[in-house]
Amino acid sequence: MTVKVRFFARFRELLGTDIPAEPENGATLLSLVRGIAEKKKEGYDAIFDEHGNFHEFVIVMRNGKRIEHGDAAAVRVSDGDEIAVFPPVAGG
Amino acid sequence: MLSERERERYKRQILLFGDEGQERLKKAHIFIAGAGGLGSPASLYLAVAGIGTITIVDMDVVDQTNLNRQILHNDRDIGKKKTVSAEEKLTAINPDIRVNAIDTRIDETNAARLIGNADGIVDAMDNYPTRYLLNDVAIQKRIPLFHGAIRGFYGQATTIIPGKTPCLKCLFPKAPPKEVFPVIGATPGVIGTVQATEVIKYLLQSGDLLTKRLFIWDGLAGRADEITAERMPCCPACGGIVTEKGEKKP
Repeated sequence: MTVKVRFFARFRELLGTDIPAEPENGATLLSLVRGIAEKKKEGYDAIFDEHGNFHEFVIVMRNGKRIEHGDAAAVRVSDGDEIAVFPPVAGG
Repeated sequence: MLSERERERYKRQILLFGDEGQERLKKAHIFIAGAGGLGSPASLYLAVAGIGTITIVDMDVVDQTNLNRQILHNDRDIGKKKTVSAEEKLTAINPDIRVNAIDTRIDETNAARLIGNADGIVDAMDNYPTRYLLNDVAIQKRIPLFHGAIRGFYGQATTIIPGKTPCLKCLFPKAPPKEVFPVIGATPGVIGTVQATEVIKYLLQSGDLLTKRLFIWDGLAGRADEITAERMPCCPACGGIVTEKGEKKP
């Protein structure tokens, strides 16, 4: 199974973007993104809190649909999925 | 009717959309929430395009630290109300439009009244609580909200049409943490100009709006991306209030 994880803005700066991944069958959205982010502490800390959950403002999308954080540990990724992880900005 | 002077002023864009398009812009009333980093380029480009009435609201005074990005204001304006400075600049750049500059804080008691009968709202705020308020009023009045936000070299923009596209709460249910955000002036330059372009396209009913898409500008990487997005049926702001056709549910 091949999926693509796209990080944006500050997350891209920290972790790169358009990262191809070959998760094992049964991998969840949360485990997939954690696994990639863990490679760089600063990137991981930007996306996840101390409990390993997404920071509440982080937007996670799977094939264009926003995934509620509460569902990220249950949603299994499928072949060809495109996962977007995006930090909205607030300034104006 | 356009005056001879207006025909001359807008000659190069009348080539694009004719007298009829220009008349549409002239009849329009756009509400701009904020006269800062995003509000500066957005209001300047809407003013020169000939948007007939621009209401711009801000509560702040021009500070030296604003001047790296808030191009409506200059060094001589330090200490002046941003609304006074904005009105001077916008009427100077185009005396053929009406500018209402209102010096107040937008809150839940006055938002709907301030926005009045505007045809659209430009989100040029710097905080999500006020943005969510603008989102609510846009839904209530069924008018578009032209969202923009920036930080550093990064920016985002989308056009929200209540009932048809995801609203701000569908996209961003939780606000990012408050901070003194770093910024280079060119970033709100990009995003504010995208917002102004969206307003003009909406009024002219031409082109493809940034609907159901979040435009993401990464100045550091020199890349523009987009994320497609759908309405959230359980959205506390727009879910269950309006249907895809914009009809109220019984």
